[in-house]
Amino acid sequence: MKKYTLKRILTSFLTLLAILFILFLLMQLMPGSPFNDEKLSSDQRELLYAKYGLDQPVIVQFFKYVVNMLKGDLGVSYKISKNTPISQLIQTRLPISIGIGGAAVSIGALLGLLLGLLAALKHDTIWDSLATIISVIGVSVPSYVFALALSYYFGFRLRWFPMLFSTKTLISSSILPSISLSMFTMASIARFTRSEMMEVMGSDYMLLAESKGLSSSALIFRHALRNALIPIITVLAPLVVDLMTGSLVVEKIFSIPGVGSLLVNAIQSNDYNVVIALSFIYSALYIGIMLVVDILYGIIDPRIRLAKKGD
Amino acid sequence: MKKMKALLSIATASVMLMSSISIPASAETGTSVLNVMIETQVESLDPQQATDGTSFEVIADYTDGLMQMDESGAAVEALAESYDLSDDGLTYTFHLREAYWSNGTQVTAADFVYAWQRAVDPDIASEYAYMLSDIGQIVNAAEIIAGEMDKSELGVTAVDDLTLEVQLVVPVSYFLSLMYFPTFYPVNQEFCESCGDTFGTSPDTVLSNGAFILTDYEPAATSFELVKNEDYWDADRVSLAGLNYQVIQDSQQALMSYQVGDLDITLVNGDQVEQVEEDEEFSSIGAGYLWYVSPNIDAVPELANLNIRMAMTMAIDRESITADVLKDGSKATYTAVPMDFAAGPDGSDYAEDQTRYSDVCTYDLELAAEYWQAGLEELGISELTLDMVVDADDAPQKVAQVLKEQWETALPGLTVNLTVEPKKQRVQDMQDGNFELGLTRWGPDYADPMTYLGMWVTDNSNNYGLWSNEEYDAIIAECTTGDLCTDAEARWERLYDAEALVMADAVIFPLYTQCNAQMISSSVTGIEFHAVALNRVYKNTVKTED
Repeated sequence: MKKYTLKRILTSFLTLLAILFILFLLMQLMPGSPFNDEKLSSDQRELLYAKYGLDQPVIVQFFKYVVNMLKGDLGVSYKISKNTPISQLIQTRLPISIGIGGAAVSIGALLGLLLGLLAALKHDTIWDSLATIISVIGVSVPSYVFALALSYYFGFRLRWFPMLFSTKTLISSSILPSISLSMFTMASIARFTRSEMMEVMGSDYMLLAESKGLSSSALIFRHALRNALIPIITVLAPLVVDLMTGSLVVEKIFSIPGVGSLLVNAIQSNDYNVVIALSFIYSALYIGIMLVVDILYGIIDPRIRLAKKGD
Repeated sequence: MKKMKALLSIATASVMLMSSISIPASAETGTSVLNVMIETQVESLDPQQATDGTSFEVIADYTDGLMQMDESGAAVEALAESYDLSDDGLTYTFHLREAYWSNGTQVTAADFVYAWQRAVDPDIASEYAYMLSDIGQIVNAAEIIAGEMDKSELGVTAVDDLTLEVQLVVPVSYFLSLMYFPTFYPVNQEFCESCGDTFGTSPDTVLSNGAFILTDYEPAATSFELVKNEDYWDADRVSLAGLNYQVIQDSQQALMSYQVGDLDITLVNGDQVEQVEEDEEFSSIGAGYLWYVSPNIDAVPELANLNIRMAMTMAIDRESITADVLKDGSKATYTAVPMDFAAGPDGSDYAEDQTRYSDVCTYDLELAAEYWQAGLEELGISELTLDMVVDADDAPQKVAQVLKEQWETALPGLTVNLTVEPKKQRVQDMQDGNFELGLTRWGPDYADPMTYLGMWVTDNSNNYGLWSNEEYDAIIAECTTGDLCTDAEARWERLYDAEALVMADAVIFPLYTQCNAQMISSSVTGIEFHAVALNRVYKNTVKTED
């Protein structure tokens, strides 16, 4: 297990380095430049390129970037917040995105699990149909539709919650965006939980457990759910990263100062450093979560843990 | 069950994480705090680095320059109590009033010298450095920007603490109106250097000498606050207790926030105008931008034909574009210089007379068809396909669709294909000459027609169609660096001669002067709107309690 984990961590690092290089190459392919504003003369443009080192070959830029990054310096923004260190930009925004995304995943996973369990245990009843309808709506309707609808009814009409995010009313102004974002997670988890539970409950070992005379709650939670959780975690992991890295449209609707809107602004204004830094952080988070998931598998399912011990 | 507990604890942890985000100290939110909606975030609070309208507005909220804008947009004294101009028009001497930065130090002439040197410093690489060189004509500015001279050679001197002397290469008739442009705002050297790279990134790294003080801000913030500066030299004039800015990109959310009373002023987009146009709080304000189509005269042989260009400009129904498509109050424009930003020596708007060039720019389908036939015959073709590059934003795309339809209907044999691109790419393509027709816009940098007319001189980087006319170049030279510099009235008349050449040659097809539709609460009066430099000024704004 230790050897396996170490190997995974090492490959993760190499993958990240490769991603960083590809990001650098991709920036070269991006149309336009951060400094092609109509009002700039070509001399001024050259001055700006020189100032930020963009006149150097990509490979030189790349190595300088890696060296600076190891020192904790992600460079400065060229455009969306001129000359502001990117670490400073991200510092205040990432916690907000992670907070709202985290809340959305928690709400979504919890409700999804309950809904899925309900549908599986009471399958082929009205409850099952109801859960299916909710799941289909949650999966097929984009989160910004929920965002606009919730904002209209609960923000504008009823005035229960603020329509715009504010750090001053952190909790109440996070509720509508979190719920909007949780719908997709809830629906996906509910569907998976239902189908996994149905499959597990129809298996031979469940029949054996039942015939041993176990109580139904022990049957569901100790045997059925535990086995059903593995595929669910696989589904949940990428959703966690997606949500934590901020949702562009929902951030826009609620004016949330998160990283999703930052990335889109940066892409639109060719703010290379910001795009690279954020994409890199996304990749790192994604790879990190995948690593955690692999390790979680081992904890939830002893068969995997034991199999790896045998490696 | 353990797993449920684990999930629950993950949920609890994330909620705790959310609650742990620090909550900044809240500013006073009395009734006379004005709640302002902005569409875009502040790009920079460094007066010499900022280039966008939002940043300019906020910088001007807390910083005064030598001059400020009055209600009509004219330059009146701010930090300069008075000024003298030498007889040859080349030396301005500004006499500063006693004013203080928010850290208690006095605003001195040296603060201006330092700031202006920053603006031309190649190490700073300010994007608006040309405001000092090409536009302001300050001695040695161009050489310093080009790296040929040290910044200390700039033609600006602190004679003493309260006297600033500025040397110009040639007389500049609109020089005073540049003094309210934020690139020319003072910066305290000691303070700026003590902040190092963090200058202008937080309330602690900016100094105020203006009407308000920044109290809550972080880079690229979606909301931030300013409070009234009690030590402002003109504090008696300022009635607002503060300003709360809120960035809202979604127009529906903005309007709803306005309707529940969270905002006092908000922009309204064209689709929403019908909902609110009967409301007395609705208004439309000129934004100064001229939208126009630039034909690539140099690279496309068909567009080098004057008859073809005439036909295209006359086939455009500009009124229909503004009334049926944009609906935000934008004004159909038939001149190369747009309306409502430059007032002449007699105080009237330069572009007030929109029929001045009606023989060459008007909506006349019969005439357009005649020009079109003549053009096709000269070229020996019967069909023509042109491509137009358009920004991937909402309004330009709609306008382009209508233009395509109008042209294809009015001019038989013409096909116009639209290439929709991100703005950055569209600008790049036009700069590279890689386009046939381009839908573009230009905003005025200073209150003089030259901010537009300067574009079409030979080899100017914004003369996308590479049009070149010796007579035109001569007139522009005469008006910028030649004999007419000192004769405002004669210069004004001569500028019309230049504009007439652009129009007669259909160098561009002007479309409309952009306006912004907006809602302003009836409890608010005295917000001053300008098309140049500072879009909104709040020094005279009053908000009464409901």
